[in-house]
Amino acid sequence: MSRADETVWEVFARKEYPEPLHHVGTVTEDDEDLALVSARAIYDEQPWIEMIIVPRASIREAIRS
Amino acid sequence: MSTVRVDPATATMISLIGSLADNKSALGRRYGEWAVSAPTIESAVAAAAMAQDELGHARSTYPVLDKLGVSRPEDPGLDAGHPMFVISQELPDWASFIAANLVVDGILTTFVASARDSSIEPLAQRARKILQEEGAHRVHAEAWARRIGRVGGEDLALLRRRIDEMWAEAARWPGPDSDSGYAEAVAAGMVDSGPAAIRARVRDWLLPLVDGMSLDEPTDWSDWNEQYRR
Repeated sequence: MSRADETVWEVFARKEYPEPLHHVGTVTEDDEDLALVSARAIYDEQPWIEMIIVPRASIREAIRS
Repeated sequence: MSTVRVDPATATMISLIGSLADNKSALGRRYGEWAVSAPTIESAVAAAAMAQDELGHARSTYPVLDKLGVSRPEDPGLDAGHPMFVISQELPDWASFIAANLVVDGILTTFVASARDSSIEPLAQRARKILQEEGAHRVHAEAWARRIGRVGGEDLALLRRRIDEMWAEAARWPGPDSDSGYAEAVAAGMVDSGPAAIRARVRDWLLPLVDGMSLDEPTDWSDWNEQYRR
Protein backbone atom coordinates (compact mmCIF):
# COMPACT_ATOMS: atom_id res chain seq x y z
CA MET A 1 0.00 0.00 0.00
CA SER A 2 1.68 3.18 -1.19
CA ARG A 3 1.33 6.41 0.74
CA ALA A 4 1.49 8.39 -2.50
CA ASP A 5 -2.20 7.70 -3.14
CA GLU A 6 -3.32 8.75 0.31
CA THR A 7 -5.25 11.88 1.13
CA VAL A 8 -3.84 14.68 3.24
CA TRP A 9 -6.44 15.98 5.68
CA GLU A 10 -6.17 19.39 7.33
CA VAL A 11 -7.21 19.24 10.99
CA PHE A 12 -9.00 22.13 12.73
CA ALA A 13 -10.16 22.35 16.35
CA ARG A 14 -11.43 24.72 19.03
CA LYS A 15 -11.52 24.68 22.82
CA GLU A 16 -14.71 26.73 23.27
CA TYR A 17 -17.51 27.92 21.05
CA PRO A 18 -16.90 31.68 20.84
CA GLU A 19 -13.41 30.79 19.64
CA PRO A 20 -12.90 30.12 15.90
CA LEU A 21 -11.62 26.78 14.62
CA HIS A 22 -7.81 26.82 14.53
CA HIS A 23 -5.60 24.86 12.19
CA VAL A 24 -3.79 22.30 14.38
CA GLY A 25 -2.07 20.06 11.82
CA THR A 26 -2.54 17.37 9.19
CA VAL A 27 -2.99 13.62 8.95
CA THR A 28 -2.34 11.41 5.92
CA GLU A 29 -4.86 8.58 5.40
CA ASP A 30 -6.79 7.25 2.43
CA ASP A 31 -9.74 6.32 4.64
CA GLU A 32 -11.92 9.05 6.12
CA ASP A 33 -12.71 7.09 9.29
CA LEU A 34 -9.05 6.28 9.90
CA ALA A 35 -8.24 9.94 9.36
CA LEU A 36 -10.71 10.84 12.12
CA VAL A 37 -9.20 8.25 14.50
CA SER A 38 -5.70 9.53 13.73
CA ALA A 39 -6.62 13.18 14.14
CA ARG A 40 -8.15 12.53 17.56
CA ALA A 41 -5.19 10.42 18.67
CA ILE A 42 -2.45 12.74 17.37
CA TYR A 43 -3.84 16.17 18.28
CA ASP A 44 -5.06 15.39 21.80
CA GLU A 45 -2.91 18.01 23.54
CA GLN A 46 -5.89 20.24 24.36
CA PRO A 47 -9.39 19.58 25.73
CA TRP A 48 -11.03 20.33 22.36
CA ILE A 49 -14.80 20.63 22.20
CA GLU A 50 -14.81 20.34 18.40
CA MET A 51 -12.42 18.93 15.84
CA ILE A 52 -12.99 18.67 12.10
CA ILE A 53 -10.96 17.36 9.18
CA VAL A 54 -11.03 18.63 5.60
CA PRO A 55 -9.39 16.95 2.61
CA ARG A 56 -6.65 19.29 1.42
CA ALA A 57 -7.82 18.85 -2.15
CA SER A 58 -11.18 20.41 -1.23
CA ILE A 59 -9.60 23.68 -0.12
CA ARG A 60 -9.76 26.51 -2.65
CA GLU A 61 -7.44 29.48 -2.45
CA ALA A 62 -9.18 32.86 -2.51
CA ILE A 63 -5.94 34.85 -2.31
CA ARG A 64 -2.39 33.83 -3.08
CA SER A 65 0.43 36.37 -3.08
CA MET B 1 -6.61 -15.14 43.51
CA SER B 2 -9.00 -16.62 46.06
CA THR B 3 -12.73 -16.26 46.49
CA VAL B 4 -15.35 -16.72 49.15
CA ARG B 5 -18.03 -19.34 48.40
CA VAL B 6 -20.49 -17.75 46.02
CA ASP B 7 -23.52 -18.70 43.95
CA PRO B 8 -23.00 -20.01 40.37
CA ALA B 9 -23.97 -16.69 38.75
CA THR B 10 -21.44 -14.72 40.81
CA ALA B 11 -18.78 -17.38 40.22
CA THR B 12 -19.31 -17.04 36.46
CA MET B 13 -19.08 -13.24 36.67
CA ILE B 14 -15.85 -13.49 38.70
CA SER B 15 -14.37 -15.66 35.97
CA LEU B 16 -15.59 -13.33 33.19
CA ILE B 17 -14.46 -10.10 34.87
CA GLY B 18 -11.04 -11.45 35.89
CA SER B 19 -10.45 -12.86 32.43
CA LEU B 20 -11.71 -9.66 30.80
CA ALA B 21 -9.07 -7.71 32.73
CA ASP B 22 -6.35 -10.28 31.91
CA ASN B 23 -7.19 -10.11 28.22
CA LYS B 24 -7.38 -6.34 28.13
CA SER B 25 -3.96 -6.17 29.77
CA ALA B 26 -2.50 -8.55 27.18
CA LEU B 27 -4.25 -6.76 24.31
CA GLY B 28 -2.85 -3.45 25.53
CA ARG B 29 0.66 -4.88 25.47
CA ARG B 30 0.18 -6.34 21.99
CA TYR B 31 -1.17 -3.03 20.68
CA GLY B 32 1.69 -1.20 22.37
CA GLU B 33 4.33 -3.37 20.71
CA TRP B 34 2.99 -2.26 17.31
CA ALA B 35 3.15 1.41 18.28
CA VAL B 36 6.80 1.30 17.21
CA SER B 37 6.36 -0.71 14.01
CA ALA B 38 2.95 0.05 12.49
CA PRO B 39 2.87 0.63 8.72
CA THR B 40 2.31 4.38 9.03
CA ILE B 41 3.02 6.98 11.71
CA GLU B 42 -0.73 7.64 11.94
CA SER B 43 -1.34 3.92 12.62
CA ALA B 44 1.46 3.92 15.19
CA VAL B 45 -0.18 6.76 17.11
CA ALA B 46 -3.56 4.99 16.93
CA ALA B 47 -1.94 1.76 18.20
CA ALA B 48 -0.36 3.64 21.12
CA ALA B 49 -3.67 5.31 21.99
CA MET B 50 -5.50 1.97 21.86
CA ALA B 51 -2.79 0.35 24.00
CA GLN B 52 -3.24 3.07 26.62
CA ASP B 53 -7.02 2.54 26.57
CA GLU B 54 -6.75 -1.24 27.01
CA LEU B 55 -4.23 -1.06 29.84
CA GLY B 56 -6.42 1.54 31.54
CA HIS B 57 -9.46 -0.71 31.16
CA ALA B 58 -7.54 -3.63 32.69
CA ARG B 59 -6.37 -1.50 35.60
CA SER B 60 -9.89 -0.23 36.32
CA THR B 61 -11.58 -3.63 35.86
CA TYR B 62 -9.49 -5.67 38.33
CA PRO B 63 -10.90 -3.76 41.36
CA VAL B 64 -14.44 -4.86 40.40
CA LEU B 65 -13.35 -8.31 41.60
CA ASP B 66 -12.87 -6.88 45.11
CA LYS B 67 -16.56 -5.97 45.19
CA LEU B 68 -17.40 -9.62 44.46
CA GLY B 69 -15.35 -10.88 47.41
CA VAL B 70 -12.23 -11.91 45.50
CA SER B 71 -8.92 -11.35 47.27
CA ARG B 72 -6.06 -10.81 44.86
CA PRO B 73 -2.58 -9.31 44.94
CA GLU B 74 -2.52 -5.50 45.12
CA ASP B 75 -0.31 -5.30 42.03
CA PRO B 76 -0.38 -8.63 40.16
CA GLY B 77 2.00 -7.42 37.43
CA LEU B 78 1.54 -7.43 33.69
CA ASP B 79 2.40 -11.11 33.22
CA ALA B 80 0.26 -12.49 36.04
CA GLY B 81 -2.93 -13.12 34.05
CA HIS B 82 -4.11 -15.94 31.81
CA PRO B 83 -5.12 -14.30 28.53
CA MET B 84 -6.10 -16.06 25.31
CA PHE B 85 -3.13 -17.83 23.77
CA VAL B 86 -3.51 -15.84 20.53
CA ILE B 87 -2.62 -12.60 22.33
CA SER B 88 -0.19 -13.99 24.90
CA GLN B 89 2.77 -13.47 22.54
CA GLU B 90 3.82 -10.63 20.27
CA LEU B 91 1.58 -10.42 17.18
CA PRO B 92 3.61 -11.54 14.16
CA ASP B 93 2.26 -9.16 11.50
CA TRP B 94 -0.04 -6.18 10.97
CA ALA B 95 -2.83 -8.51 9.79
CA SER B 96 -2.70 -10.13 13.24
CA PHE B 97 -3.01 -6.70 14.85
CA ILE B 98 -6.12 -5.93 12.80
CA ALA B 99 -7.53 -9.43 13.42
CA ALA B 100 -7.05 -8.95 17.18
CA ASN B 101 -8.64 -5.50 16.88
CA LEU B 102 -11.62 -7.04 15.06
CA VAL B 103 -12.09 -10.36 16.83
CA VAL B 104 -10.57 -10.26 20.33
CA ASP B 105 -11.45 -6.62 20.98
CA GLY B 106 -14.82 -7.31 19.31
CA ILE B 107 -15.72 -10.22 21.60
CA LEU B 108 -14.52 -8.47 24.76
CA THR B 109 -16.30 -5.22 23.92
CA THR B 110 -19.52 -7.04 23.05
CA PHE B 111 -19.37 -8.70 26.46
CA VAL B 112 -18.77 -5.31 28.09
CA ALA B 113 -21.79 -3.93 26.20
CA SER B 114 -23.87 -6.74 27.69
CA ALA B 115 -22.90 -5.44 31.14
CA ARG B 116 -23.76 -1.77 30.49
CA ASP B 117 -26.81 -2.00 32.78
CA SER B 118 -25.44 -4.74 35.03
CA SER B 119 -26.91 -5.25 38.49
CA ILE B 120 -23.25 -5.27 39.61
CA GLU B 121 -23.05 -1.48 39.76
CA PRO B 122 -19.22 -1.11 39.72
CA LEU B 123 -19.18 -3.27 36.56
CA ALA B 124 -21.90 -1.16 34.93
CA GLN B 125 -19.91 2.01 35.68
CA ARG B 126 -16.71 0.57 34.17
CA ALA B 127 -18.65 -0.75 31.19
CA ARG B 128 -20.05 2.64 30.27
CA LYS B 129 -16.59 4.27 30.42
CA ILE B 130 -14.97 1.43 28.45
CA LEU B 131 -17.64 1.57 25.74
CA GLN B 132 -17.03 5.30 25.20
CA GLU B 133 -13.38 4.61 24.40
CA GLU B 134 -13.94 1.40 22.46
CA GLY B 135 -15.88 3.30 19.79
CA ALA B 136 -12.59 4.50 18.28
CA HIS B 137 -11.18 0.94 18.36
CA ARG B 138 -14.16 -0.29 16.38
CA VAL B 139 -13.79 2.50 13.80
CA HIS B 140 -10.08 1.65 13.48
CA ALA B 141 -10.80 -2.06 12.97
CA GLU B 142 -13.55 -1.45 10.42
CA ALA B 143 -11.51 1.06 8.44
CA TRP B 144 -8.48 -1.25 8.25
CA ALA B 145 -10.68 -4.22 7.27
CA ARG B 146 -12.13 -2.14 4.41
CA ARG B 147 -8.67 -0.93 3.40
CA ILE B 148 -7.22 -4.45 3.27
CA GLY B 149 -10.36 -5.63 1.48
CA ARG B 150 -9.81 -3.00 -1.23
CA VAL B 151 -6.19 -4.11 -1.66
CA GLY B 152 -7.23 -7.80 -1.81
CA GLY B 153 -4.73 -10.45 -2.88
CA GLU B 154 -2.24 -11.78 -0.35
CA ASP B 155 -3.00 -9.03 2.18
CA LEU B 156 -6.67 -10.05 2.32
CA ALA B 157 -5.85 -13.77 2.36
CA LEU B 158 -3.54 -13.22 5.35
CA LEU B 159 -6.16 -11.14 7.19
CA ARG B 160 -8.74 -13.91 6.67
CA ARG B 161 -6.29 -16.49 8.03
CA ARG B 162 -5.51 -14.34 11.09
CA ILE B 163 -9.22 -13.73 11.73
CA ASP B 164 -9.83 -17.49 11.59
CA GLU B 165 -7.02 -18.08 14.11
CA MET B 166 -8.32 -15.39 16.45
CA TRP B 167 -11.95 -16.52 16.13
CA ALA B 168 -11.06 -20.14 16.95
CA GLU B 169 -10.01 -19.01 20.43
CA ALA B 170 -11.84 -15.72 21.04
CA ALA B 171 -15.25 -17.21 20.12
CA ARG B 172 -14.77 -19.70 22.97
CA TRP B 173 -14.11 -16.94 25.51
CA PRO B 174 -17.78 -16.37 26.50
CA GLY B 175 -18.05 -20.14 27.03
CA PRO B 176 -20.64 -22.77 26.09
CA ASP B 177 -24.20 -21.57 25.75
CA SER B 178 -25.28 -24.37 28.09
CA ASP B 179 -23.35 -22.80 31.03
CA SER B 180 -25.94 -22.74 33.83
CA GLY B 181 -23.96 -20.16 35.84
CA TYR B 182 -24.03 -17.80 32.85
CA ALA B 183 -27.77 -18.37 32.43
CA GLU B 184 -28.28 -17.49 36.10
CA ALA B 185 -26.15 -14.35 35.66
CA VAL B 186 -28.40 -13.27 32.78
CA ALA B 187 -31.51 -14.03 34.86
CA ALA B 188 -30.08 -11.94 37.72
CA GLY B 189 -29.45 -8.97 35.41
CA MET B 190 -25.67 -9.14 35.80
CA VAL B 191 -25.39 -9.23 31.99
CA ASP B 192 -28.11 -8.96 29.38
CA SER B 193 -27.19 -11.84 27.07
CA GLY B 194 -25.52 -15.23 27.02
CA PRO B 195 -22.49 -16.64 25.16
CA ALA B 196 -24.20 -17.55 21.87
CA ALA B 197 -25.80 -14.12 21.63
CA ILE B 198 -22.42 -12.44 22.12
CA ARG B 199 -20.85 -14.57 19.39
CA ALA B 200 -23.82 -13.86 17.09
CA ARG B 201 -23.47 -10.09 17.54
CA VAL B 202 -19.77 -10.20 16.69
CA ARG B 203 -20.38 -12.55 13.74
CA ASP B 204 -23.15 -10.31 12.38
CA TRP B 205 -20.74 -7.37 12.52
CA LEU B 206 -17.73 -9.14 11.03
CA LEU B 207 -19.23 -11.17 8.18
CA PRO B 208 -20.30 -8.20 6.02
CA LEU B 209 -16.97 -6.52 6.78
CA VAL B 210 -14.63 -9.26 5.53
CA ASP B 211 -15.80 -11.39 2.60
CA GLY B 212 -15.26 -15.13 2.60
CA MET B 213 -15.37 -15.83 6.35
CA SER B 214 -17.56 -18.42 8.07
CA LEU B 215 -16.93 -17.81 11.81
CA ASP B 216 -18.55 -21.01 13.01
CA GLU B 217 -20.05 -21.60 16.44
CA PRO B 218 -17.58 -23.52 18.64
CA THR B 219 -18.68 -27.11 19.26
CA ASP B 220 -15.85 -28.90 21.10
CA TRP B 221 -15.73 -27.87 24.77
CA SER B 222 -13.90 -30.96 26.03
CA ASP B 223 -10.78 -29.02 27.13
CA TRP B 224 -12.62 -25.87 28.26
CA ASN B 225 -11.07 -24.15 31.29
CA GLU B 226 -13.87 -22.15 32.94
CA GLN B 227 -11.53 -20.12 35.12
CA TYR B 228 -9.21 -18.94 32.35
CA ARG B 229 -11.96 -19.05 29.70
CA ARG B 230 -9.86 -20.70 27.02
